[in-house]
Amino acid sequence: MPNHREAPVGGGIITLARRALVAIAVAVAFAAGIRVRGSGGIPPQTGGWRELRGDDLR
Amino acid sequence: MARILLFGAGASGARIARQLRSSGVVNELEIRDPNAPRLGELVAALGDGAESGVGRRVTGAPDVVVVASPAGTQVALARRAVHQGIPVVTTSNQTSEVRRLLTLDEEARYRSVPVVVGAGFMPGLTCLLARHGAREFDEIDEIHVAKAGTGGPACARQHHRALSSTGIDWRDGRWTRRAGGSGRELAWFPDPVGGRDCYRAALPDALLLVPHFERVQRVTARQAATRNDRFTAPLPMLRRPHAEGGIGAIRVELRGRVGLERRVSVYGATERPAVATGAMAATAVLHVLAGDLEPGAAGLAGTEDTVSMLRTLATRGVKPVRFEGVSTFV
Repeated sequence: MPNHREAPVGGGIITLARRALVAIAVAVAFAAGIRVRGSGGIPPQTGGWRELRGDDLR
Repeated sequence: MARILLFGAGASGARIARQLRSSGVVNELEIRDPNAPRLGELVAALGDGAESGVGRRVTGAPDVVVVASPAGTQVALARRAVHQGIPVVTTSNQTSEVRRLLTLDEEARYRSVPVVVGAGFMPGLTCLLARHGAREFDEIDEIHVAKAGTGGPACARQHHRALSSTGIDWRDGRWTRRAGGSGRELAWFPDPVGGRDCYRAALPDALLLVPHFERVQRVTARQAATRNDRFTAPLPMLRRPHAEGGIGAIRVELRGRVGLERRVSVYGATERPAVATGAMAATAVLHVLAGDLEPGAAGLAGTEDTVSMLRTLATRGVKPVRFEGVSTFV
C-alpha cells in the first residue's frame, strides 16, 4: 500500500503549486466580493432638502 | 426676437427645442439631425417657427448655435460657429470633447463670442450651483459633484463608456488620473432618488470647475452605478438603451472656509436628465441672447450672475434644492 509520505520526487512541488492556486483563487473571490458589495455608508440622519428661495436667490 | 440653429433632435435636443419655442424669445428655430423621421416628428410637433435643415454647416445667420448632438460630434460644429463669430451653447459630457471645446477659448475671445461648454444637467447645472454656492464662502477648498440617471440613448452610451474609462480629479493642486469604477461612495441625492453608490468615471466636471475656483484643493466627480453597471462596464452595451431614462439627480458638495469656521454646503436637483438638460441649455441660450455671458469658452461655473440664471431656470421648470440641517455625511 503506497504511503503519501512516499510520494515520487516532484510531488511536493505540485502540492505546493496546487495550494498556491487555491489560495490565490480564494483571495481573488474575497477581493471580488469586497469590490462588488463594498461596505455600507451612513445616510443623513437629520435635516432635509428645500428649494432655493429668498436669501438663496439674492 | 431671435433665430436659433439647433443640432440634434434626440431626447435632449427635443427638450431644448421645446424650451426655446416656449420662451417667447425665439421666433425662428432651425433643427438639424441625421435621423430624418425623428427630425420630421419634432418639427411637426413644434409647429410654426420651427423648420428642419440639412447638413453640418452653420448657415442662415443664427443668433446662437446650440449643439445637442451625440458626444464626440460637437467640437467641429462649435468651431464652425465660432469661426463665423456666432455664440455657441454645447451640451457635451465627454471629457476629451470638453477639453477640445475649452481650447476654443482664445478664438472665442478674439471674436467676442461666448462658447458655453457643457450646458446640461451634469456638467451644466452642477457648475452653476457650485458657482452660486461658493458666494457664501471666503475660500473654497473642495468641490465634489455626483449624478444619477441618464437621458436619451446617446447619454446612456456615454454613461456606460465613462464607467470603464479613466477619470480625472483635481487633488492638492494637480490633475490626477483615476480608474473608472473605483472610489465607491454613498451619495445622498434629493428625493425621490435618495442614496446611491457612486463611482469615479470619465467625467469632465473637474475640467470645467477648477479654472473658476482659485486655490481649490480637491475637485471630484462621480456617477451612480449598480453592480450590473460595474460588471458590464468593460463590455459593449449588451442591449439597446432605453429611449429615455427615468428620474435622475445631481448633487454638489462644497467645502471651504467662512471666516475661521470650516463649512460644508450641499446643493442638488432632481429631474429627468434630458428634461433638465433642455431647461439648462435653453436658459444658457436666453442669457447669451441677453448678453449676460462673457466672451470665451467656459462652463457655467464662469457665470457671474448666478441668481439671474437660476431664476430663469426656475421659470423653465427646474428648481434646485439645498440640504439643510446637520448631517453625518458632512
